[in-house]
Amino acid sequence: MAIGKKRKGGDVKLTSRKLFAFAGALALSSAALVGVGSAGAFAGASGKGPAARHSPKAAKFVGCMVTDTGGIDDRSFNASSWQGMTEAKAADPNITVKYLQSKSTSTYVPNINAFIAQKCGIIVTVGFLMGTATEAAAKAHPTQKFAIVDYTYKPPFKNIDALVFNTVQDGFLGGYLAAGMTKTGKVATYGGMKLPTVTIYMDGFWDGVRYYNNVHHTKVKVLGWTERTQTGEFTGTFTNQTKGETVTKTFISEGADIIFPVAGNVGLGSAKAVQNADNAGGHVNMFWVDTDGCISAAQYCKYFITSVTKGIQSAVKNAVLSAAHGTYKGGNYIGTLANGGVLLAPFHLWTKRVPASLKAQLKRVELGIIHGKIPTPTKSPV
Amino acid sequence: MSSELADQAEETAKSEDGPPSPATGGDGRPGARGFTEALLDAVTSGNTVTVTVLAFLCAIFLGGLIIAFTNTTVLHAWGNLFSAPGKAFATAWDTAAGAYVAMFEGAIVNPHAVSAAFHGGPVSTVFNPLSETAVNATPIILTGLAVAVAFRAGLFNIGAASQFIGGAMIAGWIGFAVHLPFILHAAVAVAGGLVGGAVVGGAVGFLKARTGAHEVIVTIMSNYVMEYLLLYLLGLTAFRRPGNPNPISPPIATNAVLPHLFGSTLRVNVGFLIALAAAAAVWWVLNRTTIGFELRTVGSNPRAARSAGMSPERTWIVVMLLAGALAGLAGAAVVQGTNFNVAPQIYGTYTVDSITVALLGRASPTGTVLASLLFGALRAGGVTMQASTQVPVDIVTVIEALIVLFVAAPPLMRAVFRLREPRAGGGEQLEARGWGG
Amino acid sequence: MELKLRGVTKRFGSLVANDHIDLDVAAGEIHALLGENGAGKTTLMNVLYGLTQPDEGEIEVDGRRVRFRSPKDAIDAGIGMVHQHFMLVPVFTVAENVVLGREPTKPFGLLDRRRARGEVQDLSNRYGLSIDPDAYVEHLPVGVQQRVEIVKALIRQANVLILDEPTAVLTPNETQELFRIMRELKASGRSILFISHKLKEVQAVADTVTVLRRGRVVGSPPPSATDAELATLMVGRDVELRVHKEPAEPGDVVLVVDGLVVRDETGRIAVDGVSLEVRAGEILGVAGVQGNGQTELCKALMGLLPVDRGMVAVGGRDLTRASTRAVLGAGVSYIPEDRQEDGLVESFSVAENLVLDVYDRRPFSSGISLRPDRVRDAARTSMAEFDIRAGSIEVPAKTLSGGNQQKLIVARELSRETRVLLANQPTRGLDVGSIEFVHRRIVANRDAGSAVVIVSSELDEIYALSDRIAVMYEGKIVGVVPPTTPATELGLLMAGATSTRGEEGLPGEEGLPGEEVSEVQPA
Repeated sequence: MAIGKKRKGGDVKLTSRKLFAFAGALALSSAALVGVGSAGAFAGASGKGPAARHSPKAAKFVGCMVTDTGGIDDRSFNASSWQGMTEAKAADPNITVKYLQSKSTSTYVPNINAFIAQKCGIIVTVGFLMGTATEAAAKAHPTQKFAIVDYTYKPPFKNIDALVFNTVQDGFLGGYLAAGMTKTGKVATYGGMKLPTVTIYMDGFWDGVRYYNNVHHTKVKVLGWTERTQTGEFTGTFTNQTKGETVTKTFISEGADIIFPVAGNVGLGSAKAVQNADNAGGHVNMFWVDTDGCISAAQYCKYFITSVTKGIQSAVKNAVLSAAHGTYKGGNYIGTLANGGVLLAPFHLWTKRVPASLKAQLKRVELGIIHGKIPTPTKSPV
Repeated sequence: MSSELADQAEETAKSEDGPPSPATGGDGRPGARGFTEALLDAVTSGNTVTVTVLAFLCAIFLGGLIIAFTNTTVLHAWGNLFSAPGKAFATAWDTAAGAYVAMFEGAIVNPHAVSAAFHGGPVSTVFNPLSETAVNATPIILTGLAVAVAFRAGLFNIGAASQFIGGAMIAGWIGFAVHLPFILHAAVAVAGGLVGGAVVGGAVGFLKARTGAHEVIVTIMSNYVMEYLLLYLLGLTAFRRPGNPNPISPPIATNAVLPHLFGSTLRVNVGFLIALAAAAAVWWVLNRTTIGFELRTVGSNPRAARSAGMSPERTWIVVMLLAGALAGLAGAAVVQGTNFNVAPQIYGTYTVDSITVALLGRASPTGTVLASLLFGALRAGGVTMQASTQVPVDIVTVIEALIVLFVAAPPLMRAVFRLREPRAGGGEQLEARGWGG
Repeated sequence: MELKLRGVTKRFGSLVANDHIDLDVAAGEIHALLGENGAGKTTLMNVLYGLTQPDEGEIEVDGRRVRFRSPKDAIDAGIGMVHQHFMLVPVFTVAENVVLGREPTKPFGLLDRRRARGEVQDLSNRYGLSIDPDAYVEHLPVGVQQRVEIVKALIRQANVLILDEPTAVLTPNETQELFRIMRELKASGRSILFISHKLKEVQAVADTVTVLRRGRVVGSPPPSATDAELATLMVGRDVELRVHKEPAEPGDVVLVVDGLVVRDETGRIAVDGVSLEVRAGEILGVAGVQGNGQTELCKALMGLLPVDRGMVAVGGRDLTRASTRAVLGAGVSYIPEDRQEDGLVESFSVAENLVLDVYDRRPFSSGISLRPDRVRDAARTSMAEFDIRAGSIEVPAKTLSGGNQQKLIVARELSRETRVLLANQPTRGLDVGSIEFVHRRIVANRDAGSAVVIVSSELDEIYALSDRIAVMYEGKIVGVVPPTTPATELGLLMAGATSTRGEEGLPGEEGLPGEEVSEVQPA
């Protein structure tokens, strides 16, 4: 600041000019990067240019999605939902899809309204935060079809397809698998924030480990979560990967050799910590969450024993297709192991390393859960 | 006492007192002027209306380039630049112009809606863009004032979000847990929001006055504290919807909703009036009261304030109470005006927004309102732009950032536009003034 | 190098800042440019340094006509300037600062530090500047920073050196050191244009004097001219260098200080058991070399520093631990030592500054509501009464010259009923005209019945105003003497020679009205 003010010193002025020019260039290039990033994501996904506005010609059905503030590349529920949208489009050439990203919680309403004005065939909203806005819009526009991810209504709405996932079930399978795979007798999980959609996984994981211990008389310990007290480790963010790395390092130093992050992008920090530990000769691996990690974070596939997923993708795809094909019914949908709405992802590179006996046991546990013989209690029911 | 006049004179004077010495702080004592004072000085007298307008135009131009050249169609057309140069330029122009037209239609007026209204369509849709602009601007005005007023007292309030949350929690709780008649319920909830924000802000002022804790650190930390407190509260059954495990509060009672100003189809509500009234009140306090006089004195020269019998400590507490109250009102306005419940992340990006508009508005109430309306328009337009052209809404953030960048770098602006730099000439004006005879 | 200015004229609107100025600076001379604040000295220097272009007239260097479009042209022609406010980067070393903008480089654009240091060292040795090229500027005292500026000019081959009010920021010792350096530079054949309004300095160092008044050259007296002659020429009328005052007629004791102990901000005891009594209608001058606790004494009296031990009372009311507001409310007016830091808010208008410590009283406010109309009315009255020269009551105080800023503070503090006036260095840095004005006002305030305490490190001022003189040394009052005490005696007291002198008894200690033994505190 002082330098900038020194106008009488001709010698210094030049320097300040340079400085500002440099700062300007820097800001521009970073701004451009942001622009490229988002625009690229958009262009790649929807495949339509700005012309979309002027050419509703060929398409007979428009599927619309309002994302939460994370946007469609959050590697989490927004990304999965958008994946479902594009799959619906791929399945039926009469369908086009587009999305609006919410800048903040107060843009849910205008975004939904913008799509209502555009007469979308179905409007998909993502996340419980949009529950109220979606409900209000559905009441005001009873003929408009909606779907919402991760939220249910009591009583259900005829024009909202509420999609929730009982991830305590596959979380349970994950816990059982982890307990079967650990060498150190310690496994760990942590959450991004203490939200029901997060802790339901952790409850399942905890129960799964405990069930394994009961069956096999082992004493595998779970770090980072206690179902009974509902206390554990949370990073407080779904985006800051450094925090995931830190917390994972701590778990590893405490002896855990399988980490289960339930924290969206923060999990990438865990993957980095696991990779570092692996490079240093440690035998640490992890699970991915929500989506199949070998697809969404393929660079770390060799560390993913499996992924504890929920089928947002196929549920959204089905909702869009049903609306397009006139089979839409609305109401609440709960994804379970039984209907394939939640499941453990394939083992990929670990197929040979997971013992066949363990795989067989997992199959039996899965059937037990499906038939209600093995209870999967949770304090965060869907 | 006209602050406008004083501001202008200050601007001319800025260049007059010769080059200040970085080594001695301009008066022979090292470090006589702190960072905050220098920043305050730069904010309140650094940029002119011209620079702001030019900065806006530059940002729009560069934003247009980004819109055009991140679009696959445009890039493809430019790939064939030599075979079809006209098409390359035309596509780029159409893309950028289309986005901006949509933005204008979403923020100011949509000609289609106007012509539709003439043919019997709903009149309200004509005013919907302006209504959206006002709705978007409301919390930004209030949080911006919270930063601006603290700025004038020499404090850097980076805690708009925390104070916002304080206000939103109380206003929301009164909204859903208490039962009162119409109007009274809304008024009590707004007052609760004001108090909630004031408590959070006042705590910062108190800590600074009592312990000397720097307000920058305390406000940043208070943001975290309040974000987690909000999450914690939303985890309690008292703050949650019955039978719903999600951390989201019950909807507020209809009686607590701020009434719409122009019918239910337009979202603009009493919150906007509250924001404008708050801006007027801040102006009055700053320029027409002893409290404002103390506040500005402490902000401009705490040592002189002390010598004049003022208590900077007391002023810090007062101004942070005031700032907190303003941000708390923003929380109430959002909960009662647009969101109707309390949920995580309700504080949005108000911390950064508030600082930005306060800087753009030169920490004056009028300037803050104008800057907030600009930002409100960009955001309202951003929704329409994204919806009708699918240009990512992030471009709005880019444009906002560019405006600030250009405003923050007046030398860059002067260089680009070859504006005459106010230079040595002033030195003699100074003398001429003291001349008299 | 010879420098000639012929008919240089510079106008700003209707104001003629420089009106056909002729100036000849010969090689190897120190040429003083004497004038009050606002006489057009700085404008002329800006013209000469290429910061402003003159409307008329021409500049010749060694008989060749030149036009300076920018400071670079002036530097190329061999003109160097040391501004009042330095243009140094605090976090750079001396050598780095000196070469900034014309850095000697090695291949690949690397800064040739060794060469930079060598050049600085050479110049420092040649002119006895004692500058360490590796010292960081922010750690250097102001006097040394000034020498760095001189080196900056010299290294750019300056043959004519313009020094703009160079002594304003210096201590007396640093001033003497500067004068020595100026003579060294002169001996090496360089010319120095020395801008000042201090008569004694001009007399001490200049070879030639040009006096400027209202933009015109009004004379070129020899440096041997007397104070009075120079002052008359400068101000345009006869100036009372020593204000006329009647003998004091002391009334009741108003201000009582008893055994006051005060620590400074670092916790060191700065005021060590001071006891004083000041009566209505008398001026007590507190003499002493700066930094002997005077500032802390004033601050403690004003409630700006906490009192460790002892007592302060005004008119029988105990104010030992009172807030500043309470002290002001008890009728104490305060002219602080540092007007820009403590006395004014520079960004505020003249009108606002005139109510800075009375804004919360009637008629300027009622309740919390300010009355801008009343503030403006009062400001207009004060501006006329105290001859504050400013564009209007709305211009920011920072646009005022130092003298007018001080008049503003005096106006504010004396425009209300005062029982005690406490003035710390009331005329530091002011030109003779302003000094005269402030002194007259202070005496008038005494005659109106205030108990006045003047703290000053300038003996001239102490003698001009005081009815009694208290000498402060290392936080103690080492003697209270009448104003008839010879300067040599006073000087010895100020240097701390009390233990012996105090016992011997000071001349004139007897016969002081209201003098009490307790006031003499032998160290």
